This record gives sequence, C-alpha cells and structure tokens, in this order.
Amino acid sequence: MNILEKLQEILSECKGEDLTITPETTFDELEFDSLDKVDIVMQIEEAFDISLGDNMQLSTVGELIAKIEEAVANK
Amino acid sequence: MLMSPHVEEVAQMVAEEKVPVVTTGAGNPSRFVKLWKEAGVKILPVVASTALAKMVERAGVDAVIAEGGESGGHVGDLTTMALVPQVVDAVSIPVVAAGGIGDGRGLVAAFALGACGVQMGTRFLVADECTVSAEYKKKVLAAKDISTMVTGKRLGHPVRAIKNTYMNAYAKLEADSNIPDEQLEQFGVGSLRKAAKDGNAEEGCFLAGQIAGMVKKAQPAKVMEGVRWDV
Repeated sequence: MNILEKLQEILSECKGEDLTITPETTFDELEFDSLDKVDIVMQIEEAFDISLGDNMQLSTVGELIAKIEEAVANK
Repeated sequence: MLMSPHVEEVAQMVAEEKVPVVTTGAGNPSRFVKLWKEAGVKILPVVASTALAKMVERAGVDAVIAEGGESGGHVGDLTTMALVPQVVDAVSIPVVAAGGIGDGRGLVAAFALGACGVQMGTRFLVADECTVSAEYKKKVLAAKDISTMVTGKRLGHPVRAIKNTYMNAYAKLEADSNIPDEQLEQFGVGSLRKAAKDGNAEEGCFLAGQIAGMVKKAQPAKVMEGVRWDV
C-alpha cells in the first residue's frame, strides 16, 4: 500500500475536503486539532495494522511516513 | 490537567501518594497509565471523541468520562447528547457522562444514553466547600442559559467560560488575523487564577458550562449529591 496515498485519503477524510499532500507538507499547514490527530493516528494504525504509540511530535508528513515505515518494518 | 507545565511532577505525586482515583482532562493521559496502575490508582480520563476513548481504553484506564461541549473549561465539538451514546458503543469500559448536567433530569438522560453515572462541574462551583472566589460563585449564580461562550479554537484549545470583558476581548483578538498566535496565547496567561483566586470580574476567565443558567443555589456539596432525587 502506498503510504503517501493512504495518508492523503485519511487526512482528506478527516478534513472533510480533498487534500493534496507531499512529504514536505507540515501539520501546521493542515491545521488539525488535537482530537483530529487522535482520530488520524487510530485510522493509520488500523490501515497498516501497526502501533504508533502516543504523543508523537511530528512536524511534517514526511516524518509521519518514516514513522509508519519503521512500524511496518518492525511488525 | 494535562496541559499544565507541571503535569509530570503532578503525575509522579499521584503515584507516590497512591491517590485512589484520578480524572484527567485536556489531553491523552496514556503515558501515565502504567505508572498509576502500578500504584493502584483508578483512572478516569475525560474524552471528547470516540477515538480518544478507544485509545485510552487500550492503554488500560478503568472508565472514561464522555464530556460534551456544553461543559465548562476545555471543550470538544461534540455535544453530550451525540457523544455519550457513541462512546458507549465504542468502548467496553464504563462511561460517565458529563457536560450540561445539573439535576436529576440530566442524570436520567445520561442513563438513557448508556452512561453508568454523571460528572458535574459547574453545579459544584457554588458548593459551600468549593474554594473559588466569591466573585466566581456570584457569576455562576447570576448566569443565564446563554451566558457562556467559547474562545481559543484558533489555538486548538477551545474553552467555555462566562462572558465578560476578558472573554469578549479574547474573542476580538482571536478573530483578528493580524494578531499572532503567540500574542493570543500570552493574553490568556493567568486568566484562570484571576477568576478563581483573585475574583477579578473583568480580567478573569470564569470557566463554566451552559448549565450555569440552572444553578441558582449555593449549598453544601452533600446536599447537592442528593440531586439524583430532583426529578
């Protein structure tokens, strides 16, 4: 599964509009609140069958992709 | 209060003192659950969404408090009516309802929504035993149904409090895109202390829920606990 494409799908669903994201996109730009972020984490974990842990401090989509790749590799 | 700068020390103290029950708010307490469970603490986080409820259930908490946006203080978007049954459906642990509950009618409604109990905050602000300032209690007792407002959404931390000079000024700053987030954040520093401790009517942030309009009597807490019979 292409991680960026899946993230785009999840983030768009959460935002309620189609988003175009790249690894350089920052979470500040996306303006999700704290509850959105919890929902996003849960959806990612379900989609990739991984556990990401709590309280991640990530600035960009690229950093999130790296976290997902690491979790998938450690499954 | 998970947004407090002293949260780590407070969490440690909860474990050291073996506090029997702890509730948490304004965030995800999962990182403290192991520490607290080892100390025998019962943990009931406040949650404002089903995703957060599931996340803390997974972490091992004992129950959740599903608090709708009618409540005072930090609030989510969902109302108690919408949130409680969805959280009840999402988790297997007990669910306590909070937000907009002030008497037996709210208690019965909470049971109907699937909750096993209620949490009340605003009602108990005017309890004799509550040590907030006299001005705070006066504001709650004088409040009407529409006396509260929410600010802070721009910073991702919306808060409900009684309308006053401070809240109106904050709302104006928040709506002004020329005001940077840091300035907005700084404007709020100390406002709760000014309300709760100093009783500063104009500059304090008097957190309270929408049910404040129904709170008309200062009483001992023990009498208020009999609220379940006020149906």
